[in-house]
Amino acid sequence: MTFPFWSLTAESRELGLVAGVAIGFAFGFVLERAGFGRAQKLAAQFYGTDMTVLKVMFGAIVTAMLGMVLLSGLGLVDLRAVADNATSGTYLWPMVVGGFALGVGFIVSGYCPGTSMVAMASGKIDGLMTVVGVVAGQVIWTGIEHLPAISRLQNASDLGHVYLPDLLHLGPRAGPAIVALAVTAMAVAAFLGADRIEKILAKPAPGAPARATPARRAVFAGFAATALFALAAAALPTGSAAVPAGPPRLTPMELARRVLDEPWKVRVLDLRPMADCAAARVPGSECVPADQLGKLRLADANPAREIVLVGGADLSAPPPAAAAYPGRVALLDGGFPAWKVFALEAPPPPAAGASARELDTWRLRAGIAAAMTGVKAAPPPPMPSGDAPAPRKKGGGGCGG
Amino acid sequence: MERDPDRFWNPYLAGVALGLVLLGSYLVMGNGLGASGASLRLGVAALGVVAPGVVERSPGLAHAWAGGHPFDFWLSFEILGVVLGGFVGAYTSGRLKWEVLKAPAFPRAKRLALALLGGLIMGAAARVSRGCTSGQALSGGALLSVGSWAFMFSVFGGGYAFAWFVRRQLR
Repeated sequence: MTFPFWSLTAESRELGLVAGVAIGFAFGFVLERAGFGRAQKLAAQFYGTDMTVLKVMFGAIVTAMLGMVLLSGLGLVDLRAVADNATSGTYLWPMVVGGFALGVGFIVSGYCPGTSMVAMASGKIDGLMTVVGVVAGQVIWTGIEHLPAISRLQNASDLGHVYLPDLLHLGPRAGPAIVALAVTAMAVAAFLGADRIEKILAKPAPGAPARATPARRAVFAGFAATALFALAAAALPTGSAAVPAGPPRLTPMELARRVLDEPWKVRVLDLRPMADCAAARVPGSECVPADQLGKLRLADANPAREIVLVGGADLSAPPPAAAAYPGRVALLDGGFPAWKVFALEAPPPPAAGASARELDTWRLRAGIAAAMTGVKAAPPPPMPSGDAPAPRKKGGGGCGG
Repeated sequence: MERDPDRFWNPYLAGVALGLVLLGSYLVMGNGLGASGASLRLGVAALGVVAPGVVERSPGLAHAWAGGHPFDFWLSFEILGVVLGGFVGAYTSGRLKWEVLKAPAFPRAKRLALALLGGLIMGAAARVSRGCTSGQALSGGALLSVGSWAFMFSVFGGGYAFAWFVRRQLR
């Protein structure tokens, strides 16, 4: 994979931040030129007289989506990795409720948070007020979001990272291309509808130039060509894109980070025989000898947590019972032996003159090894929890699921 | 080039341009664009200087405070770029002017109060939905996240539902 560059990793952080300013500059400039620094133009979307907001927004979404799907079809970008990094997980109800409230704030202030920055930069005092409001609103809400009632709303219906192609059970390669084609078609239909509504509701401004239909035709043709090209690239059985990436693998360092930082997001399954697992294992892992994996009924399990499989040796592919899990399944690179070397043995101290980065890595590893071996005897292992699956709850709602 | 403050890019071409910026952000940064994330860090940092006790007492604020200095956060740099880009764009188009945008007959103080109120609502809403129109709808929508699409339709729903109540403000 050529992309993404991951410009914000430690080695290139300064350069990455400079790139951030450049990307922000382009973002701000385009928003300004589209007319998004002017509250009247933004609000006109909601009175039907000027549908620029819808056109620019959907146009941008279709462009970026087609670009990503096409590059992914050609094997140039890891779409799933970017998507998991760049999007938040789906919290369905909070997003519906928050979206509605944000829409109300949008029409009341005349801006959205990003365009209020552009308005402020172009000297609009109302834009400045909105920026102040957005900052204050976020700080106030963050100050009270630990209260039980708010926290319950805010963390309801956590579906994890879920994408439209997943909902339709389309394959990981063809799925994004098919959905992209459908979204493009929907957007073009919305554009045609928006132009029609504008024509009916808007009073043509005196001296305004006639609608630039050549631009619209060119953009539509570009969308159609790219969408079809992306579909063709995804359908090609050969080429660099066809090399399956295989199941995602975690290095012991990555696993340690997840287990320590976000244990509620992973479920670690140790597939070694019970005795080995009982003696030493990754903290928080369940001992599930490989032949008992079927009892966990992973195919029906809630896909919110990522499953990490730990084997006695390097696993080449997840067993079928784990592969049926609807969420993400990752393998620990090198199996338990690699974990043992990584986490249970103190790393050799760095040589004199080691770089700051090597020192950092050593410090982290030594800390992990100390934390892991600090417990003298491991508590008794939890038994596989799938022997008698609890009856599935009927209906939705509530806090469960 | 003559400057005409009422001349904008064709919306379809502007959409493609914005999409290319977003695509560049995915490819170079591995991240989408955002507008509300940086303002929280900046706001919490400012509050931490003025009233550190308030920050310590709230778990949410303390977490954001511990998340790091706002100047070590890429979205802060991106927002700096947005402000610079918006400024250059406004200057070169003749739209750079110290003014309050409102309908001619609408009172100025009322317009500013509504702008502040709308900002407060959006700030809180952006926390609930984990992002605003830039970070959630645009960046997540182009990556086909289910939550982003639900959010986006909801934003339009909220805007249309309340447009009637503030109809004299801007037109």
